[in-house]
Amino acid sequence: MDLPIPNAPAAPPAEAGTLILAVPKGRILSELGPVLAGAGIVPAPDCMDEDSRRLRFETNHPGLDMVRVRPFDVATFVAHGAAQIGVCGADVLMEFDYDQIYAPLDLGIARCRVSVAEPAALAGTDDPSRWSRVTVATKYPNITRRHFAARGVQAEIVSLSGAMELAPALGLSRLIVDLVATGSTLKANGLVEREVIAHVTSRLIVNRTALKTRPEQIGAWIARFRAALASLPGGGRGAGA
Amino acid sequence: MTDDAPNPALLPAGLMDLLPPEAEREAALVEAMMEVFAGHGYERVKPPLLEFEDSLLAGSGAAVAEQTFRLMDPVSQRMMGLRADMTPQVARIAATRLGLEARPLRLCYAGQVLRVRGTQLAPERQLPQAGVELIGGEEPEADSEVALVAVEALERVGVTGPSLDVTLPTMALALLDAAGVAPGLRQRLARALDRKDAAAVAALAAEAEALAALPALLEAAGPAEGALAALAAAELPPPARAIADNAAAVIAAIRARAPALRITLDPVEFRGFRYHVGVAFTLYGPGGSGELARGGRYMSLNDEPATGMTLYPDAVLRAAPVAPPRPRLFLPRGADPAAARALRAQGFATVAALAEADTPERLRCTHILRDGRPVPLTREG
Repeated sequence: MDLPIPNAPAAPPAEAGTLILAVPKGRILSELGPVLAGAGIVPAPDCMDEDSRRLRFETNHPGLDMVRVRPFDVATFVAHGAAQIGVCGADVLMEFDYDQIYAPLDLGIARCRVSVAEPAALAGTDDPSRWSRVTVATKYPNITRRHFAARGVQAEIVSLSGAMELAPALGLSRLIVDLVATGSTLKANGLVEREVIAHVTSRLIVNRTALKTRPEQIGAWIARFRAALASLPGGGRGAGA
Repeated sequence: MTDDAPNPALLPAGLMDLLPPEAEREAALVEAMMEVFAGHGYERVKPPLLEFEDSLLAGSGAAVAEQTFRLMDPVSQRMMGLRADMTPQVARIAATRLGLEARPLRLCYAGQVLRVRGTQLAPERQLPQAGVELIGGEEPEADSEVALVAVEALERVGVTGPSLDVTLPTMALALLDAAGVAPGLRQRLARALDRKDAAAVAALAAEAEALAALPALLEAAGPAEGALAALAAAELPPPARAIADNAAAVIAAIRARAPALRITLDPVEFRGFRYHVGVAFTLYGPGGSGELARGGRYMSLNDEPATGMTLYPDAVLRAAPVAPPRPRLFLPRGADPAAARALRAQGFATVAALAEADTPERLRCTHILRDGRPVPLTREG
């Protein structure tokens, strides 16, 4: 029949019973605290401590462990089935577009946007409809390419994993595409937001194979997170700024 | 300049050598599965690796068009494609050379397919396939048969306790069609359904009365009995009701013959099935071993109803228990050929010494022939 959707490599048998929840370090993790509490998940105390050297943490549920990884890696862990559940920003899902991931729940936390920004000095000085190509510094090469391709423009990507805001001033690129929460980093570096590509919140994600083969367990966790959101002030959808 | 010569071991991305003992294991596994297919009356066909792209990409082949390697045939000056999927080839054979055979026609096949790019998760660009196609049978029993033949093939190679996921790729579309929703809403709903975003589906479905059943159907995904009950209780427009009734009949037919098989049903999933028209199947291996087979009902060429299953021997190999390797019997120089022949018939691989320097250890032998009998060699240290 048609091509296989790729298989996750076999999990070691000892792990077969324990579910792994992958959460991102940093900003999302701190906003995630109330949601986890609402879902009745109490991780080991050092889990929320960014200085802890441990990466894997037990929770108050014997069948559920948490791992703390970089935001982009949450999607990779879940897509490969190394973690069955995860929390990651919609920006990461847009960038990778893994077909092994379902995103059943919008947690409404860590609100921000993926935007195009340019030096304030250049804003309004040229007509983008005349562009045939443009250099863009970003950690989102796929989102960027897609966005500009839809406008008939080739995006030449300068791939950076941080400090994108420096790129235009130092001549690395004309534009940047980055995550913008308040816009203060842009402002501090003489950039202005030119266009919003997408508004982003964090999602609860689950591995496809896990949902198919363990629907009762995974479904129960999704339901707990959903109930937790409903009980948070603003239904969890107003949190974060 | 430092122009390092390329390492001769390097292969193009996504291609690999299968070495001993995996190469033999995979071949034996494919043959064992083919034996199961043949035992159920599926006759083997062997389509070519290459064919003209217009026939290769017709019908269900369109789904893999962008994954197909193409090259120009210098003889006919026409474009050819290297198969990325064998099902369209079997459909072509059934519609043309075997078009006059009585239906239903049961065919099976095994071979390698190539695809232009692997994915980040499965980078392989060459994959083995082994499968069955049942062309010209419309009954739920036909779908049940191909699913169970695949389950039996897995059992034969030692993969027990698989989980069969049944999806209805046309159900969501039938519901959206019946509701006559605006294109914008339809797109947003399809997206929310694809992600299984229950909150978004509920919010969007509230905008059209005919979609009232959608949130419940999304929620129903899980063990087949519960999902079927939810389908039976839902208020569905006639086309969707027909799909639901067919699913119930297929699952009942499977249940009747395999009461212990774990079956899940996801009524509104359509991800990954691009040419299926009725039930679609995915077989998941035990534990976390992932997808081992896919299949389901489709329209073959000439609008003939057909159903089939494709197993992925590479994935099955990872899920299957490792059989003990064939014992290797060292034949000293001048050993009795008749004794060696008899022992080969018992399952020994006989490895003949050709020179004095050949020792059982160097040739990785487990046994040695002494006085016409195999004597196990004990590993020292």
